[in-house]
Amino acid sequence: MLLELREVGKRFGGLQAVAAFSMTVRAGTIHGLIGPNGAGKSTVFNLITGVLPVTSGEIHFKGERISGLRPSEICRRGIARTFQATTFFREFTVLDNVMAASHLAVERGFVKTLLATAGYRAREAAALARAQDLLDAVRLQDVAGRRAGTLPHRDQKALSLALVLATGAGLVILDEPLAGLTTQEGEDAMRTLQALRADGKTILLVEHDMRAVMGLCDVITVLDHGVRIAEGVPRDIQANPAVIEAYLGAEDTRA
Amino acid sequence: MPPEPPRVDGWIGFGMLLVAGVSVPLLTRDSYHLDVATVILRNLLLTMSLRYVMSTGQLNMAHVSFMGIAAYASALLVTRAGWSFWAALAVAPLLAALAAVPMGRVALRVSGPYYFLISFAFLEVLRLVFNNFFVDYLGGPSGLVEIPPPHPLLLTGGAVTFIGKLAQYWLMLVLFLASAAVLIRLECSRFGLVNGAIRQGELLAETLGVNVPRYKLGAFVLGAFFAGVAGVFFAHSQRVLHSSDFGLEPMVLLVVFTVIGGAGSVWGPVVGTLVLAVASELLRELHHYELLVYGLVLMVVMLCFPDGLVALPGRVARRFGWGRAKDGASTLGAGVAP
Amino acid sequence: MPIELLIQALLNGFGLAVVYIVVALGLTLIFSILEVINFAHGEFYMLGGFAAYYLSAVGGLNYVATLVLAMLLVGLAGVVAERLVFRHLRGKTLNAFIVSLGLLWVLQATAQLSFGVLDKSVPSAVSGIVRLGGVIVSRERMFVILTAVALIVGLYLFLKFTRTGQAMRAVAQDAEAAALQGVNIELTSALGFGIGCALAGAAGALLAPIFAVSPTMGALPVVKAFIIIIVGGMGSLPGAVLGGLLLGAVEGVGTLFMSSAAVNILGFLMVIAILLLRPRGLLGAA
Repeated sequence: MLLELREVGKRFGGLQAVAAFSMTVRAGTIHGLIGPNGAGKSTVFNLITGVLPVTSGEIHFKGERISGLRPSEICRRGIARTFQATTFFREFTVLDNVMAASHLAVERGFVKTLLATAGYRAREAAALARAQDLLDAVRLQDVAGRRAGTLPHRDQKALSLALVLATGAGLVILDEPLAGLTTQEGEDAMRTLQALRADGKTILLVEHDMRAVMGLCDVITVLDHGVRIAEGVPRDIQANPAVIEAYLGAEDTRA
Repeated sequence: MPPEPPRVDGWIGFGMLLVAGVSVPLLTRDSYHLDVATVILRNLLLTMSLRYVMSTGQLNMAHVSFMGIAAYASALLVTRAGWSFWAALAVAPLLAALAAVPMGRVALRVSGPYYFLISFAFLEVLRLVFNNFFVDYLGGPSGLVEIPPPHPLLLTGGAVTFIGKLAQYWLMLVLFLASAAVLIRLECSRFGLVNGAIRQGELLAETLGVNVPRYKLGAFVLGAFFAGVAGVFFAHSQRVLHSSDFGLEPMVLLVVFTVIGGAGSVWGPVVGTLVLAVASELLRELHHYELLVYGLVLMVVMLCFPDGLVALPGRVARRFGWGRAKDGASTLGAGVAP
Repeated sequence: MPIELLIQALLNGFGLAVVYIVVALGLTLIFSILEVINFAHGEFYMLGGFAAYYLSAVGGLNYVATLVLAMLLVGLAGVVAERLVFRHLRGKTLNAFIVSLGLLWVLQATAQLSFGVLDKSVPSAVSGIVRLGGVIVSRERMFVILTAVALIVGLYLFLKFTRTGQAMRAVAQDAEAAALQGVNIELTSALGFGIGCALAGAAGALLAPIFAVSPTMGALPVVKAFIIIIVGGMGSLPGAVLGGLLLGAVEGVGTLFMSSAAVNILGFLMVIAILLLRPRGLLGAA
């Protein structure tokens, strides 16, 4: 197993957003996290990536405890995520966006950067090549020179994904990767994610498009009011009465 | 579309600064003009280093305080401890950078307008310390006087003294070019990219692996170091230090030079400082009208060019349809993926 | 230390502070509605002082008429400034800072050119002192304090009970929601700015007989106002009152222990402490 949440809880003042939540994500799988609105899915992502501290429980990644570390440290260990809202650097060009995200690879020191040593330059060149490959992989190579803020929605989503991949993370956490995409764009995106899995990446995602979730995911965990109510393969989840109840219940309150 | 070439405009820009700087003494030996040019270089050092700090999103109002710390430190090292100017030049900026560490850490605990305000409070506290405390060492309200000029430098072929305006200009030019080289190099490297990323989205940068507080503190301390270099030169060229040299008025001017030029680009401060220095010289005869015109110019520029003057050529070009794909404003179609 | 000395010091501190509170209320009102930090606020204070000079010393008007007219004139200037300049800068802190700086210089220079640089004095409305136990207060100061308190209470009543005042509070809370409920943002913005400046002008007119009137008289009060609203909480009106009283107490007592030049440092130390311990200020919104 790659990522393990052990009885994780998160409390905001009087509100228990997530309670005794346990989940295991296996390496090389696409794992879905679903649940009605307000179930706590984004909170779980924030807890995993260190944006919010856990109130109780622990999170382990590759056998090591990561709950309590700062987000940048968690990213260095190999977890990167997208956010629901647009998540890229608006003023930079698409290429600069990816280069900024891949800085991890060009880590070495202040003085070496200053003197532009051969080692630094070699690493920069390698990072540039990697960036170009990434842009090809998400089909943004034609807009590499455009200011990111001017991109259409589909390209923005692709850029967010490219940034995550640029960090070299092995576990990729995606918050609604298909939101706002047309059917065709959605199918392209799904193919991209499947290709990533084939490449050895592990994907944890939140999605509301049920067809996509059932089609993509190897395992699905269902969250409702901060509590896990089911976990299993798509077929079992679809037939699970508790899951249906949770979603229908949500339907009722909206009516 | 092929990716961008490595940033050559950094070297071109530096080259231009070098050529311009070296040609000044060739064009004039007038001591007043040299003095003005020296002050411009000193301000350029201050605004470029301020801009580096601002590129991480930190609007640091205490920048001149670090200039002051190094200035007083250098003056005291030379007059009280008998150090040579050159030794003080090496050490005093480091002292300013050292002082920047706790101050930067404290300021980083708050964000946005509160950061601005707390740095403003630091500015005033330090100014009041320079003015009213440790009077035996700092000179109190009457200032610190009788600071010697830089000690002569022994080179092959004789000693170089630094009493005249020409020699001081050369010294400032060397200090400036060395500092500018570092700042430009950093801007064009991954540091510049990461700083810009932090400014545009701290949380995003953090989740992409950037230890944001460490980078911000690093920029803050580096900025303080270069402000310190300017401070050491200031102390030994002006030869008198007064707390008002490191207070709100000079700080505000630095912010104005930087923002008018455009804080988004490493060349913004250069444009802003030069334009306003020239404007100030032209208006010098007008006394009170100078302040009036300055104020009007400020208001008009900020209202019409919120991104600063350095963005002006880009805007003009776009208006005439010369927009490059880079800014996206004039590309054909909406860039739909194939 | 004799208790009278302490009370006298506190009273002196409060006496000044209450006027600075009026200035601070104007500044924080503007911030709450437009989200801009108006660095030129002190210049409106200065304009109030000069209005008082020309109306009373030159024009011979009485105390109350001078005050009312000065407020109206400076308030009008504020509305003009908002319409021409600040409405474009709503929410943009850095740019508003620079622009208000420009405005500061424009107003300063205009004042210096129109009124000359020398101090002017404004005659006092009342003279004599009042004794309360062992403590001495000049009648004039008493007047100033009472008028300032009246202004503060008046502002409170205005914001709480009038339509326009409630509209201002709505915009301060959530401009979008207020607009959806039919509040005229432009009008509220202009009036809010005008009232904020009028308050500064009132403070300037109030203190004109006590301190000299000069083009640079706005520098110190605006710094005090900033300290007050940072300590009390930006955008919070009760916070401004609390912050002002705190500053008055600290500075008043401070003068017993250090020179008046050094006392200024205390306010900034308060600012640093507040920004570290509770950045939103004592009564500021989270």
